Amino acid sequence: MKRIGLWVLCGLLGLSAMGLAQGPRMGGELIIAFGTDPESLDPNKITSAPAGMVLTHIAETLLTMTEDLEIAPLLAESWEFSEDSLALTLYLRKGVKFHDGTPFNAEAVKVNLERFRRASYRFLLYPRVQRIEVVDEYTVRLHLDMPFAPIISHLSHNFVAMVSPKQIAELPEGQDIVAPIGTGPFKFDKWVRGEYVRIVRNDEYWGPKPYVDAVVFRVVPSDATRLVLLETGQVHAIMRVPPLDAPRVAATPGLEVVKVPSVRTIYIAFNYQKAPWTDRRVRQALNYAVDKEAIVKEILGGAGGVSDAPIMPLIFGYSPQKPYEYDPEKAKKLLAEAGIPKGFKVTLYHPTGRYMMDAAIAEAVQAYLRNVGIEAELITMEWAAYLSFLFKPVHEATFDMFLLGWGTVTLDADYGLFSLFHTSQWAPAGQNRFFYSNPAVDALLEKARVTPDPEARKDLYAEAIKLIWQDAPWIFLHYEVQINAQSTKVKGLIHHPREYILAHRAWLE
Amino acid sequence: MSTLRRLARHRLALFGAAVILLFAVCAIFAPYIAPHDPYAFSLAKKLQPPSRLHLLGTDELGRDLLSRIIHGTRVSLLMALISVAIGLAVGVPVGALSGFYGGWFDLLVQRAVDILLAFPGILLAIVVVAILGPGLWNAMLAVGISFIPTYVRVVRGSVLELREKEFVEAARALGTHSLAIIRRHILPNCLAPIIVLSTLQLASAILWASGLGFLGLGAQPPTPEWGTMLGRSQLYIRVAPHVAIFPGLAIALAVLGFNLLGDGLRDALDPRLKGRL
Repeated sequence: MKRIGLWVLCGLLGLSAMGLAQGPRMGGELIIAFGTDPESLDPNKITSAPAGMVLTHIAETLLTMTEDLEIAPLLAESWEFSEDSLALTLYLRKGVKFHDGTPFNAEAVKVNLERFRRASYRFLLYPRVQRIEVVDEYTVRLHLDMPFAPIISHLSHNFVAMVSPKQIAELPEGQDIVAPIGTGPFKFDKWVRGEYVRIVRNDEYWGPKPYVDAVVFRVVPSDATRLVLLETGQVHAIMRVPPLDAPRVAATPGLEVVKVPSVRTIYIAFNYQKAPWTDRRVRQALNYAVDKEAIVKEILGGAGGVSDAPIMPLIFGYSPQKPYEYDPEKAKKLLAEAGIPKGFKVTLYHPTGRYMMDAAIAEAVQAYLRNVGIEAELITMEWAAYLSFLFKPVHEATFDMFLLGWGTVTLDADYGLFSLFHTSQWAPAGQNRFFYSNPAVDALLEKARVTPDPEARKDLYAEAIKLIWQDAPWIFLHYEVQINAQSTKVKGLIHHPREYILAHRAWLE
Repeated sequence: MSTLRRLARHRLALFGAAVILLFAVCAIFAPYIAPHDPYAFSLAKKLQPPSRLHLLGTDELGRDLLSRIIHGTRVSLLMALISVAIGLAVGVPVGALSGFYGGWFDLLVQRAVDILLAFPGILLAIVVVAILGPGLWNAMLAVGISFIPTYVRVVRGSVLELREKEFVEAARALGTHSLAIIRRHILPNCLAPIIVLSTLQLASAILWASGLGFLGLGAQPPTPEWGTMLGRSQLYIRVAPHVAIFPGLAIALAVLGFNLLGDGLRDALDPRLKGRL
């Protein structure tokens, strides 16, 4: 038996050596399965990483972030700040064309950025930009009224993608882009809602052209089904392998598990303006009631870490706090002090299949809350419906608690804190879907974004994080580690910490 | 009496009755039989295979699976009984009136029933849940509503046959009120098909209620309900197959029990088969 195994191994090695000798192969259709249908493919409307993953293949940004988390040039070749940090000049790449043949130039950038500015919710990406000046064909200058420290990382955000100005001009008022026309290595082909998005190679791409003819992003909500599709060879790569299955998949010949850090923090938010969540003791009590260590260890199989700040450790401005330890007795005491009766009923909304083990985590939280006398009713919804349900203004928001995640994909605390905790960002204006408000935090976050000195910014964020931690607007749960898997037949796929699988340079053996 | 005796000689029906009795005992005495609290959890003990402490192992939150299945019997049987009761309460009177009076009323009712029967029952139930929202009680109502057309059809058929019988004619000749005729003379004679249908519907009710639970439309966590448990187990089926197997077995056994009993009852109640089984 052993000898046969050895021969098989030799054969396999030989085969793979042949494969290597051949180098990247052109052609083929690469299939990637992910869990959630994009809620939109309009750069102005998208809010989630799965949508961003698809869009980023089609429409490119001015700057980008490499998988090593460095800001790198993309459609802008270089950039420079003026002495007073009030003007940012971007030098654009020449000879780039949109998929419809429209040339990419300074005017196109202006049209796109102006469109973002009109969408109030996208405004957080560059609120200080007052004027967008077209200096010449390939130079754009952004004029700011105050220094805005995170602007470079914000411009690398995949949502700030450039689409053809012709498409924007021809778009009827009030309508969203469904088939984006960008400059990317792939062109939009087809989107069957809830099933798949197909993109095809852009043969006129300005950079190194993709090897595969097409990429299909298949929407498969069930984690288990996605895994079976990979195991039976129907897809080439999948996102979010159930953590308990990961060891088995890793041991399967022909498959490999890829673990990549993620910048996503998972939280359960309280409806901050609704009784009894207006009482800090209640919010803290629930933090004490849930054993986050056990959730990370047992449900996530260790693929993550317990949150010790509202943003995860890789992010600029992170400042660790002392986690609320698991202490149900303390929780009960705090709840009694706040006058919460035993058997108090609450609603806990959660997505199913959007985040790693999300439904199981919600169920565990429900069980922990039951232990301190709170009956949580679990309500789950389909992802797009879920997001719009949680995007209602404060007087219409009926939920008690909801589970959600936030990836601080710019790696700058501004995007992770300002967007979620500043009072101006209350839904539906921004992502503060839980209506947190603390004037001291607001002031700190505002100051931090106009302070150019990184060290001073860090101090401001540390102060803000401390206040947020004490206010406990969330049950601070954990940050994720991505577990993806792919067939060993696929080479050159990039599994990005922003929760993207990038097929730009991938090829099929 | 002879019906019962005939039933007693029907071995498969007896087996079915025994299974149902077992589940009924489980349901009534669940808190005394279950070895653990069905809600007591410990993440550290998640997905353990069957052991002496946990005879059927533990689920994804480390809860005792046997205790949850035993308590689940309550939910499943309750759901089955209530949804069949809904079907009976609406279907039998409507079917009887429709059959007895005939005419435009009959036509109207029967076309409505035709439309409802054109949908698979489970689909009808899903539509009802979609309108009412998921939950244990709504699922019961949904399944109950989807049972109504079958009852209407079956009862109407029997009534059509019975209303032409001499004893009905006699009652009519005596001037008995129509509703009294239906109640006193016709319905008692329809009992056999109603009993058989109800027993078989109980089996369907368990299956459909579990199906709704499986889809996340029925009983909500943490309620121990077989279908919901089965649905949740999908994620773990590869690493811990027991969390899928045991709730699945419970559903299969209960459905089998009611089906066997129903078949036996049909044979026992059929006058044409008198004494020959």
